[in-house]
Amino acid sequence: MNTLKFRILLIWLVFPFILIAQTGNLVQGKNGMAATAHPLASQAAIEMLQKGGNAVDAAIAATFVIGVVEPDGSGIGGGGGMLIYLKDKNQSFYINFYPRAPENIPANFNSSNDRLTGRSICIPGTVAGLTLAHKEFGSLPLSTLLGPAIRYANDGFAIDATLGSLILDNSEALAKNKATASVYLDEGFPKMEGEILIQKDLAETLSVISKKGFKGFYKGSIAKDMVEGINKGGGNFTLDDFKNYQAELTEPVKGNYRGYEIISAANPQSGVSIIEGLNILENADLNRMGHYTKNAKTLHLLAETFRKIYTDRYYFIADPGFVDVPMKGLLSKEFALERFNAINPSMPVPAKYRDTEIGNPIKYQNIEDTDKNLIDVERNGETTHLCVIDKDGNAVSLTQTLGTFFGSGQIVNGVLFNCAITNFSGANNPNSLQSKKQSRSSIAPSIVLKDNKPFLVLGTPGANRIISTVLEVMVNILDFNMNAEEANMAPRFYTQKFEDYLHVESGVGQEIIDELTKMGHSIRVYDGVDLFFGGVQLITIDPQTGMYTGSADIRRGGLAIGY
Amino acid sequence: MKKTLSIAAILLFALAAFSQNKFEQPVLITSAGQSADVKLVQLLAKRQAIEGETKVMAKETDMDGVKTLIIVPGFSSKGLGSAGISQEDEMNRVKELVKTAQGKNIPIVMMHIGGKSRRGGQSDGFCEIIAENCKAMIVVKQGNEDGFFTDIAKKNNIQILEVEKISDAAVPLKELFK
Repeated sequence: MNTLKFRILLIWLVFPFILIAQTGNLVQGKNGMAATAHPLASQAAIEMLQKGGNAVDAAIAATFVIGVVEPDGSGIGGGGGMLIYLKDKNQSFYINFYPRAPENIPANFNSSNDRLTGRSICIPGTVAGLTLAHKEFGSLPLSTLLGPAIRYANDGFAIDATLGSLILDNSEALAKNKATASVYLDEGFPKMEGEILIQKDLAETLSVISKKGFKGFYKGSIAKDMVEGINKGGGNFTLDDFKNYQAELTEPVKGNYRGYEIISAANPQSGVSIIEGLNILENADLNRMGHYTKNAKTLHLLAETFRKIYTDRYYFIADPGFVDVPMKGLLSKEFALERFNAINPSMPVPAKYRDTEIGNPIKYQNIEDTDKNLIDVERNGETTHLCVIDKDGNAVSLTQTLGTFFGSGQIVNGVLFNCAITNFSGANNPNSLQSKKQSRSSIAPSIVLKDNKPFLVLGTPGANRIISTVLEVMVNILDFNMNAEEANMAPRFYTQKFEDYLHVESGVGQEIIDELTKMGHSIRVYDGVDLFFGGVQLITIDPQTGMYTGSADIRRGGLAIGY
Repeated sequence: MKKTLSIAAILLFALAAFSQNKFEQPVLITSAGQSADVKLVQLLAKRQAIEGETKVMAKETDMDGVKTLIIVPGFSSKGLGSAGISQEDEMNRVKELVKTAQGKNIPIVMMHIGGKSRRGGQSDGFCEIIAENCKAMIVVKQGNEDGFFTDIAKKNNIQILEVEKISDAAVPLKELFK
């Protein structure tokens, strides 16, 4: 039975009373909707909504579950960002729970040699972020929200195609740590699709969190075990690293695009790049130009835009607690116009992607206005994306990550740790490694409002491709009026300053590929759809009827459930 | 208990039938499609003390002294990226390797161990060319649910053995060289 059929069957068996209007992977409902990378996580979110919880409750439950059932890309050993929109207040918040470097940072860190050791680990933020969200916005007890995750960790779940494939691909790395190997390997060989994956130690840790919350993870015996385990693997953590970690309740970055309000991830995550990209594209009439599968010049314009925003991101975006980020300039329409005017509509300029020039947002910046992204509230303390909306129109867009697939490959007490140190840049970059600093991250959970009402909730994993993929799906919906499924299924492409190729899915069409080649692009084609381009989860809200439509990306294997 | 004994009996029977053709060492293990599966076959061979070496990007010039070529098909874009080659380059390398092996009368053993993850899409092109040109194939069952390898084996009179999981491939692999 293929994965999609299995998922549909699972949902119909377990949730027979949920109203699902299903066409392919597209789902509709009016009372609530969840789109995640795994059916069990979507189901957990809906379970919480049906228990009377709100979108934040549902997102918390789904996030804990996804960390269990999609452990390659997320989990309580990682971190991320949670964008929350509260309908009654018409207010949005961003919880930044990305991992933070420990006080004692590793000397002479080398990604190739050190990734699969304790040296690559930053202090994980997921538990801090989710417990902060629960404290500020949740309504159901934390123990209820953790119930499904504990159940799946304890009883196990069937490994799906995506996870099976990733275990197979990464089996050599997973074999390096005894505790990790005992979870994912069997006699040294990878567990495969269809086998049951049980994580008893993780279940135990989750149970402690369900009873004690933040303290259960960051203080006491679990923290002690984690410090010892990380240090045994080559890290240099102290108990204070865990004890002092705090998630941040901040204001998201905001912009507007053709009358829509765009809300996205705060620095040092990549909402600013999404808005800069949209600001550049706003100078062209994309709809009139035609979709990028019909007109190579549209694809070229988007690709050239990516080059510019990724370059600006590389030179300007970093932890605002350490670096002054010229936010006002980067987000200004004037700066975007200057960047747009530098795009040649007929050929890539400069010809080599790696020669892309840095922009100058500083001249559009009043330095006194530098936005540190913190609102005036108490500061309480490979990546997957999920979206939830509840019956009242409250919405959550959340992306979390371990850094890369299976992160550092180090497991302690069932917790698989991130490798976020690898996300820092060299010494001369604002994103250089420093004690207690957060690295820059591509994650960009986003929400689009129309007339002060949620219109689109979306995000994606996919490392550097996150920014290009979010932008492509946004223009598919906002410029080309595609529905959720069409926008998600449309072929994707990606390039940036640090690439030698323009990567494209074959669905863009040979004619477009030929034309782009003639323009001077170096193309690398991916047959069909490819996980390389992320796994978008999205929900659209019909402004007229209020109907929610969800779509989970087939590239990653997710499911949207609505009722 | 009865069930276990029956399965063991079937496996022994299958093994006896499977290992009719004997292969010689040293072996050269290589990939067709650059998936990480080749490392797992290397581990299987090492545990069974099969003499030889592994070269993921083996070329014709690596065949000197080799008595059996073990090819592990399975496409991986990540693997191709790491090797810095395109799918076309990899296919050309594999075709040349097969041609050289046949020219030198070096038998090919195919080991498809990646299950469903290494079927369909770009993997099947590699699976097909290796399956059609090998003398024996060991296949993890879930990669052959559609009978893809069985059909090729029947058509070309190639010995084939299905195993439930990767670790089960160790014994039949050893048997080939007894």
